[in-house]
Amino acid sequence: MALLRFSSDLDPVSNLLTLQTELERFLRNPAIRLGVSGPGDFPPVNIFDDGDGIVVMAEVPGMDPASLNVSGQSHTLTIKGERKRETVGDAAGYHRRERPFGEFSRSVQLPDELDLDKAAATYEAGMLTVRVPKAESAKPRQIAVKPA
Amino acid sequence: MAEQEITAKEKQQVEGQEKTRAGRYFLPRVDIYEFADSIKLWVDMPGVKESDVVVTHKDGVLTITGTVSTEAYEKLAPLYTEYNVGNYFRQFELNEDVDDQQIAALMKNGVLELTLPKGERSQPRRIEIKAG
Repeated sequence: MALLRFSSDLDPVSNLLTLQTELERFLRNPAIRLGVSGPGDFPPVNIFDDGDGIVVMAEVPGMDPASLNVSGQSHTLTIKGERKRETVGDAAGYHRRERPFGEFSRSVQLPDELDLDKAAATYEAGMLTVRVPKAESAKPRQIAVKPA
Repeated sequence: MAEQEITAKEKQQVEGQEKTRAGRYFLPRVDIYEFADSIKLWVDMPGVKESDVVVTHKDGVLTITGTVSTEAYEKLAPLYTEYNVGNYFRQFELNEDVDDQQIAALMKNGVLELTLPKGERSQPRRIEIKAG
């Protein structure tokens, strides 16, 4: 499995092109089943392997981190919350309203043996990142060969 | 259960005049509200930090550019994806007269909030009627 590696000489354009091509290749990868929710559900998710486990990234801009609820149960990771519109009480009217608002709950069935107890979530610039490490038992192990 | 069905719409790519730019640019989703003395815009640009947003206003055209960083994706191998990542770009021709000097921009949690105060010409003015 090829990990994304960007050229070290700061070239933001080619790095972005590499990333975009790779993300395109795994678009709705049928080898992975997500369970009850699928593409088109909010928030959209991208799933990566970082060698030590799984990284789930979701685009959920404009949230108060405290109102984002991330939970795990066996192999299912659930992201819940409510995206609220900004206060526009005395507005005379609107010209465009394209942004989605409302309550959401999204569950993702994670592949492999992962340790959801050790999962960690961060929220920055409207991106939720959940890292779920592999369970100790699922990690590769060296087996010693004893002389007979 | 959720009271309101909230769906994720596919990101729309920028088309037309920006074709010479490398990589994909996406159109950020926008809300525009009009108030008595200002116009407010909220622009969704997940993954863009406040230092990577550029807003310009020239000849009545408001241009919003947001640049994403690829740093967070270093050494990750994609398994399954639902959205692509790219820079954001959107332009609006302003119908109203806006006071350039007073435009305020705030970036928080991936949402850009722009306040464009209306200029004097756009403010409602009562015309005094004199008795003949």
